[in-house]
Amino acid sequence: MIEVKNLTFSYGKDKQVLHSLNFVVGDGEIFGFLGPNGSGKSTTQKILTGILKGHGGTVSLFGQDISMVHTQDFFQKIGVLFEFPYLYANLSAIDNLKYFSSFYPAKQLRDIGEVLEELEFKSDFLKKPVSSYSKGMRQRVSMARALISNPQLLFLDEPTSGLDPTGAVLFRKIIEEERRKGTTVFLTTHNMLDADLLCDRVAFITNGNIVALDTPKRLKEQNSKRRVVVSYLYQGRREEKTIEIPELEAGIPFLHDEILSIHSEEPTLEDMFIQYTGRGLS
Amino acid sequence: MWKSFCILFKKDCQMMIAGKFFLVAVGSLLIYTLFINFGYINFMNMQLYNVYLYDPQGTQQEVSERICPVSSLEELETVLLADTNGVGIDLSSGTPNIILYYGSKKVDKHRADYASLLLYSSDKYTAQIVGTNTTKLKQQKEMSCELLFIEIVAVGFLGIASVLFKEKQMGVIRVHAVLPLKKSLFILSKLAVFLVSDLVFAVLLTLLNVGFFDTIHILPAVLVQTAILSLIMALMGFGCTMLLNDFKQFSLAYLIIALFVATPIFLSANTSIKMAWIDWHPFYQVYMGLKNAYFGVPVTSPVYYICSACGIAVLFVIVQTAFHKEMGKEG
Repeated sequence: MIEVKNLTFSYGKDKQVLHSLNFVVGDGEIFGFLGPNGSGKSTTQKILTGILKGHGGTVSLFGQDISMVHTQDFFQKIGVLFEFPYLYANLSAIDNLKYFSSFYPAKQLRDIGEVLEELEFKSDFLKKPVSSYSKGMRQRVSMARALISNPQLLFLDEPTSGLDPTGAVLFRKIIEEERRKGTTVFLTTHNMLDADLLCDRVAFITNGNIVALDTPKRLKEQNSKRRVVVSYLYQGRREEKTIEIPELEAGIPFLHDEILSIHSEEPTLEDMFIQYTGRGLS
Repeated sequence: MWKSFCILFKKDCQMMIAGKFFLVAVGSLLIYTLFINFGYINFMNMQLYNVYLYDPQGTQQEVSERICPVSSLEELETVLLADTNGVGIDLSSGTPNIILYYGSKKVDKHRADYASLLLYSSDKYTAQIVGTNTTKLKQQKEMSCELLFIEIVAVGFLGIASVLFKEKQMGVIRVHAVLPLKKSLFILSKLAVFLVSDLVFAVLLTLLNVGFFDTIHILPAVLVQTAILSLIMALMGFGCTMLLNDFKQFSLAYLIIALFVATPIFLSANTSIKMAWIDWHPFYQVYMGLKNAYFGVPVTSPVYYICSACGIAVLFVIVQTAFHKEMGKEG
């Protein structure tokens, strides 16, 4: 679906922000693009969505070079959710969706009511202006805008930003549903939980370079200390011991009355983020 | 493409209705009409120029009753100091020497013509006829032209900025970057809305203030000049909105434009102040084109139309570049 080879980009003469990026996103894959602010995530997404021109290297989408195909046909196949909910504040959710969807062929459009219902949008706000909506409701309308055209490739920038935990779970469910339908998803996020739960593969980008690319599971395994922390009771006292995983193969290698818990010391994706990018999450 | 253009055009009209732009335009139209018909005409309905004659040798036996004789050159200078619109004729050397308090060449010629006509009988002196308009109609055309120019330069320019700044603040311009439509249609639909609005305004203002029959005669030329000015101002407004961060910065730009565009033009066209460089001022040429159109003398020079088309094309390219830059900006 997406093939990027030696991608470079500079803002002006001396400000190179992307240094020879290489990655491939397969059909129906959810690909996470993770990195700190100013690492080159947005620039890469803008190049992939055809907003920024003048890049070096080759970028192919749908099997065609992006600098060669910039037709309406290309934009009909993609859906983009921006980091902020960009909507006409004076129009209602319905009017916004009617307006944005009117640029697509009618046969590829989903029913507006159905999409909003799927996103659990409060029906009494349907005809009220967007200016009266909460951030979560605006994010739902923005997501509806991205999904309304049944895109084959979906670019999502911080999709769960501004949502409460229930909303975040719902959005993850909808993204999973898109994957089931065969939609390819390019996910840019700071939310490591989203990336861990949703992405088939993730790439860590820092200072315009991809420093790691693999499945979240394998990245965690590769960086695992291969140890577990065992909490147990022995002779009425609570104790805790750290042991190497191979030691477990023959059973618990120390005396105990009761095992209370076993925690692996496997790193989280957030630990990976800090390790690879050298920066914490903001 | 046509479908996308219609969708954008409809949305832009809705934005302008929501922003009460049309309401402001209708209000301006009413105020301008009331001003022209009940203010300006009465205000400008002043007495004819007084003509003072110093003829020590009594060379003129039969002069008009409207001429006031004076007894000395000093008296002539004194009355002209008091009556600055008056015209003095010094016949002490035998040939008439026209003396004025102060005035530009055009006004001088106008007043000198009038004084000479009073001095000599009509068979000896023929004043140059510059039009068949009555004084009232001349004033109506003059002020309609000026107010139309102000409306487009000031109100139209602000109008496009107010609509675009809203869209810029809402971030929806960036959404259009990923919609399946030709991006230049976004600019074209805005230009079309303001062009149609300015043309309708020009028709109504001319009809209400110049009258039906005269309007029919001058309207095509007026509309051509209105269209040129409207496109230039809409593109300038669009460009400024894309390049400037907020409405505060835009207000400053607006002040500068008002100072450098409108002020020298009105000063040059309507007062005795003459600036040598004014002929090189592009808006002066457009303003004079509009004024000449109102007085039934449309611009025929192809150079003018070629320059206007080139100017609009250059502005469009600049606006397109600024628009693409805006679409690529961060949130």
